[in-house]
Amino acid sequence: MNTIYLYHDNFISLLCLIDYLLKNKIKPDNIKDTSYNATLLDEVIFLKIKEDSNIINKIKKNYSYRIFKIMYEVYLSNHDNKELIIYYFFLNTLKYHQDVIYHRNLRCVNLALKIAKQVGNEAHKLKGFLRFKELKNHILYAEIAPDNNVIYLLALHFKRRLPHEYFIIKDKKRNIYSLYDKKEVYLISEDNFNLNEVETSQEEKQIADLWKNFYQTIGIKERKNERCRMNFMPKKYWQYIIEMEDEL
Amino acid sequence: MEIKEKLQILADSAKYDASCSSSGSKRQNAFGNTSFSGICHSFSADGRCISLLKILMTNCCIYDCKYCLNRKSNNVKRALFTPEEICSITLNFYRRNYIEGLFLSSGIIKNADYTMELMIKTIHLLRHKYHFGGYIHAKAIPNCSEVLLKKLGLLVDRLSANVELPTEQSLKLLAPNKETKKVENIMSYIKNNKSRKFTPAGQSTQMIIGATKENDLDIMQKSENMYQNYNLKRVFYSAYIPVNKDKLLPSLTTPPLVREHRLYQTDWLLRYYHFKTKDILDEEHPNLNLLLDPKAFWALNHLEEFPKEINTASYYDLLKVPGIGVKGARRIISSRQHFKITFKDLKAMGIVLKRAKYFITCNHKYFTNLSYFKKNFIEANLVLEDKIPPINSNKQLSFFE
Ligand code: SF4
Repeated sequence: MNTIYLYHDNFISLLCLIDYLLKNKIKPDNIKDTSYNATLLDEVIFLKIKEDSNIINKIKKNYSYRIFKIMYEVYLSNHDNKELIIYYFFLNTLKYHQDVIYHRNLRCVNLALKIAKQVGNEAHKLKGFLRFKELKNHILYAEIAPDNNVIYLLALHFKRRLPHEYFIIKDKKRNIYSLYDKKEVYLISEDNFNLNEVETSQEEKQIADLWKNFYQTIGIKERKNERCRMNFMPKKYWQYIIEMEDEL
Repeated sequence: MEIKEKLQILADSAKYDASCSSSGSKRQNAFGNTSFSGICHSFSADGRCISLLKILMTNCCIYDCKYCLNRKSNNVKRALFTPEEICSITLNFYRRNYIEGLFLSSGIIKNADYTMELMIKTIHLLRHKYHFGGYIHAKAIPNCSEVLLKKLGLLVDRLSANVELPTEQSLKLLAPNKETKKVENIMSYIKNNKSRKFTPAGQSTQMIIGATKENDLDIMQKSENMYQNYNLKRVFYSAYIPVNKDKLLPSLTTPPLVREHRLYQTDWLLRYYHFKTKDILDEEHPNLNLLLDPKAFWALNHLEEFPKEINTASYYDLLKVPGIGVKGARRIISSRQHFKITFKDLKAMGIVLKRAKYFITCNHKYFTNLSYFKKNFIEANLVLEDKIPPINSNKQLSFFE
């Protein structure tokens, strides 16, 4: 039998569960959110635990902001066993405190650091590669399909950058939207949000064409280097980078 | 002329300037901010990062620099942006997240000050009418007056002047209207006035490589001097691309890209690895080895300093190991206080052993029989493993800037 512990599909719920398991010295075979499809070999346990968002401050205060960030980034990753990785990372954090990040000889610590880095890298890449278009009602709209669930990180970045614009970012892989209303950023699933009009204005096409033209012009043909470009701008992102559309 | 054609002409004539980084500044405004670590928005067909709208205000020019497409004697179509046009394109691109900001340079129209004033007017509009908080890098026009430098510096994140060629002699030959001293005056002015408000992201410069006869020693000595004297953030090296025919210019068919790449690698060594030009180049060997990167080449010729023991070598010694960078060295130092590092751990720590393994021991063990620790064995293996592209020397390692 595999003992699987369940949490509500959010970060705080996961941290509170892990905290509880560690305090009670329970070693789970796995940890999954409530959408998990149990098999006959699973024993599924859903504990009633008080979920307190204060746990985040505790982690930041007792260990470091960096430790919190690593846990959060692993949580946003698409790794199958991300919850278990956070569990073991947390376990080692109890032992080594903020120095846990130097213990790369421990497999689970190293894995957590690696995954966190990948997530951070993807978010950073998309801060550059994401493309907004202006809808008829002047709202900025962008679509992405990242490997990891980085939409919230991106929304926070654009909130700081464009505080006086309304914007919507859609994650096509996960069917979630991030909205910004010039005050707050909201995350909404497709079921609760209906965006029927993504029509853009005439001006939009002109500006996009101007940009595509700039993009074509700026490359120096004597230095053409396809491998290098691919390296920095992998093809999986191209479908959302408007200047690359035509090359797909 | 339509805006599309203008942009085409003025982007085309700006594209040879290599400096495109957007890091090192913290600015926040109603419309836009800068990212301290820099963001690349796209990569052009040549693999270079695009982060700024890189344009000239005009490609009209009263000068006649031999290597330049915009020189007076060339019969090319000329265009001039109005300040409002530049603002409009910048803001529209920025809002859609195409760019991080603006890179504005210009040919010289009427005279240096007139040109500078047009640039200032444009950037002033962006900052004060449109409250633009994105990144702006402007090129100072040589021979402009100090008052204007001051004005422009207060508006932009980075202000810089290009030395263009490594020696005064070459400059006289190919850019007879320019003087090294004038460029250096601009650089000292910027250095002496840099503050949180005045060019917070500092200055950089560019040198064209391969248009004149200087060797790598000349070039790196020039860079070293400039880093010391003017506190430059970066020197950009730009492989000469023939756009004009002139009896004073070399007739190259392909730009010297490998050489450019090796110069960038040497430049890294000066800035982050505590090397000096004289460690790498001297009168007897005035040019970099094209087959091996400069650090590997140096290490091969100083094998008496190796192998370094990973668990005890100092930070500076670790930096001398080919394949170990600043991040890697820091990681090793902080990890080894907690456990003894083995080859396996190094791999787990993300340190690439391909080249490093020949120059280190872990707990006094070499990766293979120590009798192989010989120059010809290591050299043969290194040359095999050092493949040039797809490395882009011009990439931004924002972590360091
Ligand atoms: S000053 Fe020289 S390099 Fe600059 S635009 Fe004029 S001709 Fe070209």
